[in-house]
Amino acid sequence: MPLVLLENVKKYYTLGGQEIRALDGVSLTIEEGEFVAIIGPSGSGKSTLMHLLGCLDTPTDGKMTICGHDVANATPNELAAIRNREIGFVFQSFNLLPRLNVVENVAVPMIYTGAGMRERRKRAMELVEKVGLKDRMNNRPTQLSGGQCQRVAIARALVNDPKIIFGDEPTGNLDSHTGELILHMFTELNQAGRTVVLVTHDPDVAAVTHRVIEIRDGRIRREYDPRKS
Amino acid sequence: MNLLVTFETGLREVASHKFRSFLSMLGITLGVSSLVATLALTNGIERGTRQFMAQMGGLEMVKVVDKDISSEMLDFWNLSPGRTIQDARAIQESAPLVTYVAPEFDEGMPVSAGGQTMRVRVRGVWPEYGPATDSVIEAGRSIVDLDVDRGTRAVAIGASVASTLWPTLTPQEVLGKTLFIRQVPFEVVGVFQLYERESDRKERERQKNQKRTPHTTQRRWDPFRWKNETVIIPLSTMFYEFQSGLFPDDSLETVRLRDFTFRVGDLDHFQAALAQVRTTLMGTHRNVDDFEFETREEWFDNMNASIRATRTSGGLIAAISLIVGGIGIANIMLASITERVREIGIRLAVGARARDIFLQIIIESVTIAIIGGLLGVFAGLGLIWLLNIVAPSDNTPFVTAGNIMLSVGFAALAGMLSGIYPAFQASRLDPIQALRYE
Repeated sequence: MPLVLLENVKKYYTLGGQEIRALDGVSLTIEEGEFVAIIGPSGSGKSTLMHLLGCLDTPTDGKMTICGHDVANATPNELAAIRNREIGFVFQSFNLLPRLNVVENVAVPMIYTGAGMRERRKRAMELVEKVGLKDRMNNRPTQLSGGQCQRVAIARALVNDPKIIFGDEPTGNLDSHTGELILHMFTELNQAGRTVVLVTHDPDVAAVTHRVIEIRDGRIRREYDPRKS
Repeated sequence: MNLLVTFETGLREVASHKFRSFLSMLGITLGVSSLVATLALTNGIERGTRQFMAQMGGLEMVKVVDKDISSEMLDFWNLSPGRTIQDARAIQESAPLVTYVAPEFDEGMPVSAGGQTMRVRVRGVWPEYGPATDSVIEAGRSIVDLDVDRGTRAVAIGASVASTLWPTLTPQEVLGKTLFIRQVPFEVVGVFQLYERESDRKERERQKNQKRTPHTTQRRWDPFRWKNETVIIPLSTMFYEFQSGLFPDDSLETVRLRDFTFRVGDLDHFQAALAQVRTTLMGTHRNVDDFEFETREEWFDNMNASIRATRTSGGLIAAISLIVGGIGIANIMLASITERVREIGIRLAVGARARDIFLQIIIESVTIAIIGGLLGVFAGLGLIWLLNIVAPSDNTPFVTAGNIMLSVGFAALAGMLSGIYPAFQASRLDPIQALRYE
């Protein structure tokens, strides 16, 4: 069974009395271990797709399962549990909690898993060390550079050992050198066997993945493997 | 999710906005401090009143008094012998719920010894007088059965009678002295304890410790005055020495009693005891309904009502402050949520459920309220302490652990209620909207 399965998924919004077809019949499968980029210009529906894949939203119509969970008919609490255990998020603007230090930020998803304080701290420290921020672990996000923040965010995404990591323009707020380093981390994660899905409009980012899905006007326009072209 | 973490998050929020949190706590602090102060004051008043009530003999005391008989019974009025000593005996025998019966004659008479004379109410009593009125002997003995049987000239006196007639003697030394009641010599066989209010006792001890001559305090109403001015002699002696001349046709058995009280053993069976006494007395009075009961219920009810009124008005002030405090917290929480929409979005994105967010906000507001409440407890204690120094009163206010828990509990409740709306707002946020919020 594929990790992500979308069949004729539609997402409509009504904005000012007008129906907007953000996604208009998308079918897609992602297998475990894939390294995927979703690209498209703004307004193409790639953000909407990202939100659906990230279980932040549910489709208007169509079938959709993630890691075997029927997302299309899930309750908000079930969606929260999937986001918590099966998915790790890395955002363009890092989205760290400003009042918590590095270790506490990394441990936040574990709070909602119900892990004990000692266990949370231990696991979070492991990951902070893994992303190379051991000497900054008691710092607040405001005391870190953008690249360091994004590494904290990656550590947080990994803390509950999810099957899929989503990156929403993860290099968008970074200079090109730092962006490369972050991108390299995603590549390493994929090499370690984790499924990675990046949403981007940057062709350089898409180029490092193994499968590019191009969205336009709410539909998949084309798919290709950048290594072969 | 882990409550401890939410609690910690709440504390962190409070700590990172110290001044704002303090302002939002202020209402709760004021509410709790006024609640604590009110409870302490009413505690003091209540304790004072209860002590007074207990020393007055309590609710258990019932007086039997004459009643005008109804017009249709007028023809039979002379069938009834009235309230006599027979009634007392009958109650002793056939009303098991009554523990003591105290029939008495009393008359205001001059009492003198060693050149001092005072006019007091002399009571002719049964030995039951002591336990029935909660009067405890300090030295010697009270009137006993033998005195009543033989009509001895024994007298037991209250503490202030002893100290007025023999200012320099201790109660022990007064025993055996001769006391003249309307020129008839009696031997003092016992002196009762001094009864006084808590505040009077403290005042007396203070003056004793300072070894100053007690300056004449302005005469205040003393609820125990009648008790300290007790002069009791045997009922039989009272009748034969002072009353028989007034009622030449009567014997001790048939003469009408001036006063007649009894004491119910258990308040839970108060009405049943009254019924027993009524049935008994209807028998001795040959079914002529010429007596009624005077209970202290109404009097005590009034006292209790005034305590309740004090408590209610104080509680109302506290409640208003707590409501205002709660609104303050709700306001601050709403502001803090608008400020933290993004944080909530992040938490939702990494797996927090709506109820986790709800709980977090509730716990934050409860935390603020509890801290405010604890500050309020200290403020309230300080207030009472200050009050005790500035205006020491008869009924020293005091606080129990239960009062403090209650006050803090109310603060927590106010915090919880005021957190509900903000928490509901926060938990309804859509994760995507919240993440986009700048």
